[in-house]
Amino acid sequence: MIENIVHTTLFYLFAAFAVLCALAMVSTHRILRAALYLMGVLGASAAFYVLLGAEFLAGVQILVYVGGIVILLVFAVMLTSSNNLIEEKPSLLRKLVALILSASFFGISSGIFLGATFNVSSRLSGASSEKIQDTTAAIGRALLDQGEKGYVLPFEIISLLLLSALIGGIVIARKTQPEGGK
Amino acid sequence: MGENLVSFLEKTPDVSHWLVLSSLLFSIGLYGLLTRRNAVGILMSVELLLNSGALNFILFNRFISPGNIDGQVMSIFVIAIAAAEVVVGMAIFVALFQQRKTVDVTQMNMMKG
Repeated sequence: MIENIVHTTLFYLFAAFAVLCALAMVSTHRILRAALYLMGVLGASAAFYVLLGAEFLAGVQILVYVGGIVILLVFAVMLTSSNNLIEEKPSLLRKLVALILSASFFGISSGIFLGATFNVSSRLSGASSEKIQDTTAAIGRALLDQGEKGYVLPFEIISLLLLSALIGGIVIARKTQPEGGK
Repeated sequence: MGENLVSFLEKTPDVSHWLVLSSLLFSIGLYGLLTRRNAVGILMSVELLLNSGALNFILFNRFISPGNIDGQVMSIFVIAIAAAEVVVGMAIFVALFQQRKTVDVTQMNMMKG
């Protein structure tokens, strides 16, 4: 029982932290601080993945998101010198429309979730023997499995996508030659 | 009071708690997407949206079919695509900044007829 109490307490703590960081991220006018708050949200998401039993995903989240994407975003902020400019406050109409849209999205979707019954697996409670214990090994096998339930083709396509994004990023951001120069 | 709290905390969050959390994060990201004027800020909000999508994949994996890892594999793909998207987006913003000296999306009307 003590495990359940710890699990639930951690869930609510991290949920509150993530929501507060997300709210601070969208409301701050300094873009560099927004990047810092985004890091907080993504770190809390890694904690959610651990709570959901996806330890490998939590590691990937920290490595790729917190270590890579946020750093890249900070570089983008620096290179476009957006940190010097305090962002102009969005107009009241713009804020109001955005608030109505996002609040109605949240209201409608959570209304549907709370009314729906999901086909929750009965194996979840009690006997945890059916649950995959070593998810990391299972993910590795699934990613390179050429059989019916394997993911080798999407895995290769993702590799190609990352390679082309790498080359495309270099080509687009390369310093353009001044026209008429040599 | 204390017993109420204990009995409340003993029930681990079920699928609807997780779904409400992820849709709350999604709506906050949507709000940021619609109000930001800086292109890099918009990219950050998109990251929030993608992240809540990945969270949904993992929570359904956990609650609907704990014997499989298909949802987690999908989340890996979501994270990889998010990384690719940020690289290309940042390259475009840097190139745009070299030309126009701004990344304000309301100033980007070059393609207006």
